[in-house]
Amino acid sequence: MASHRVGETGLSDSRPLHHHHHHHQHMPYSVFTDYNPPSTGFINQESSSFDFGELEEAIALQGYKIPNEENKLPLYSTVPRPAATLDMFPSWPMRVQQTPRVSNSSTDSGSAVNVAIASKPEAHSLVEPESPISSNSRETFSQQPQQQQIFRQQLQHLQIPEKLEMESEGGSPVTTGGSSHSQQAPKPFSEKTLRRLAQNREAARKSRLRKKAYLQQLESSRIRLTQLEQDLQRARSQGLFMVGGNGAGNLSSSAAMFDMEYSRWLEDDQRHMVELRKGLQSHLQDGDLRVIVDSVVAHYDELFRLKSVAAKSDVFHLFTGMWTTPAERCFLWMGGFRPSELIKMLAIQLDPLTEQQVVGIYSLQQLSQQAEEALTQGLDQLHQSLVDTIASGSVNDGFHHMTVALGKLTNLEVFVHQADNLRQQTLHQLHRILTVRQAATCFLVISEYFGRLRALSTFWASRPREAMMSDENLCQTTTDLQMVQSSQIHFSNYG
Amino acid sequence: MHYQTESWGTYLPPPPPPTTTVNDPLHGMERLASENAVVIFSLKGCCMCHAIKRLFCGMGVNPIVYELDQQPLGKEMEKALVRLLGTNSPVPVVFIGGKLIGGMDRVMASHINGTLVPLLKEAGALWL
Repeated sequence: MASHRVGETGLSDSRPLHHHHHHHQHMPYSVFTDYNPPSTGFINQESSSFDFGELEEAIALQGYKIPNEENKLPLYSTVPRPAATLDMFPSWPMRVQQTPRVSNSSTDSGSAVNVAIASKPEAHSLVEPESPISSNSRETFSQQPQQQQIFRQQLQHLQIPEKLEMESEGGSPVTTGGSSHSQQAPKPFSEKTLRRLAQNREAARKSRLRKKAYLQQLESSRIRLTQLEQDLQRARSQGLFMVGGNGAGNLSSSAAMFDMEYSRWLEDDQRHMVELRKGLQSHLQDGDLRVIVDSVVAHYDELFRLKSVAAKSDVFHLFTGMWTTPAERCFLWMGGFRPSELIKMLAIQLDPLTEQQVVGIYSLQQLSQQAEEALTQGLDQLHQSLVDTIASGSVNDGFHHMTVALGKLTNLEVFVHQADNLRQQTLHQLHRILTVRQAATCFLVISEYFGRLRALSTFWASRPREAMMSDENLCQTTTDLQMVQSSQIHFSNYG
Repeated sequence: MHYQTESWGTYLPPPPPPTTTVNDPLHGMERLASENAVVIFSLKGCCMCHAIKRLFCGMGVNPIVYELDQQPLGKEMEKALVRLLGTNSPVPVVFIGGKLIGGMDRVMASHINGTLVPLLKEAGALWL
């Protein structure tokens, strides 16, 4: 292939530029036979006389590589500016201009091949054009004036691609160049070709516009994201510890929504506790107290309902306890508290209990432990199965093993649901075993317990962190502990 | 909170029609269930099924487990369960003493409120 050979000699050796003056006619200007002139803005900056040397220089500055099949070093390998800048968005269809033209060359003998700054895989098409191209190039070479304009346009496109993209929006120099081109060189370019070339230019222009719009969108999203993160950080630092201690700050929308709902639930819980406390201290009638206790139980049911809804959209958020405080998260079991632990704690705090109640509570603790154990083993099996799926995926499988793994992950939601179900059933059973007053105390104790866990998280976060703990600091922590201990006395007042 | 365990209980209000075909999947399941004290219908690889198995074994019960994907009418049974229970995960499903108890939800609730053990004893699955 003449052009291919030309390509070799033209660009593959690294002789100094001035040698190439001899090769002008054989240089693969055929490669640039016709071209999308994206803007004419730069034309004004150029002198009227065109110099091939300028073009070569431009190519040199650009570091433009035309790969040939021998993979020789590009001529301009010493150029600092890499061609990679041209390939800023490799996935972007920079080869928009390529594809139609390749077909052009094959179907239309009289057509020329347009050239753009090609993404590397497509660059082959540059040197692929068959003899029609070289014959075209020889023909067009004879028409210097038109050729000069073409080369000028190619030159400016080569030198400043980004600038061109911005300039391309100003007016429609694309078509101007194209149309003027078509007027001046009717001979080697058929009507069909011209139309196609114009379409290509349009497509290229649209592509550049889309790219710019996309970039702008990305930029604005990034700014918005940083602003949101700053706001979130500010809100958190103002002591909103209840809304999860997530340092990363990247909550999904459903997770954020659940966190909000949960903090609202906690506020409502506080109100219920105030009511309960008042009811106990004022020795309310059992019937009236029962109403309050029932509403507390219903409030817990509401929490489990919220959790089950949230689990459908973001099970990880629930399961990993990102909605709780760090201290709670430490002792997390399957996305929440461990029922048997709560019962153990209550068994001590709820003294005095009748013998029947003691049996009931102890049995409840045992039953809960059995259920927890069963669920834990089921989860272990899920874990093992998941590990096997992920680890055994082969290249041939493609995405299949990932799809299978995704299917298995959905079971997490079922486990969280069953764990919450267990928690709910346990609370209901407590309600059944205890008298109304005992139940009132019980729910007060539960609420107080979790409140202290949350407070522990806050204290921990604000504890003195110096390497040498001074006596002052030691005393301070001791005082904190005393504070916590003293409130334990309150429990006996409720009985 | 008690729930019915007679025949299909709360799942199917009207009693099963007398003209049930032999190939009716639910009928087939009932037949299998009546053969043992505790019968669990499961699917291979179902982790919740494993959990329910471990729950019964932990209590000292020895349940018979039928994997639906290995049953001759397995697919139909699965579909029937989905329609019956109104959930996408038909398994596990537990029968005690030939009577349908339900899925993990029901079993868990029954376990916690203390009605499961008497049921098991009544069916002869537990001796204590």
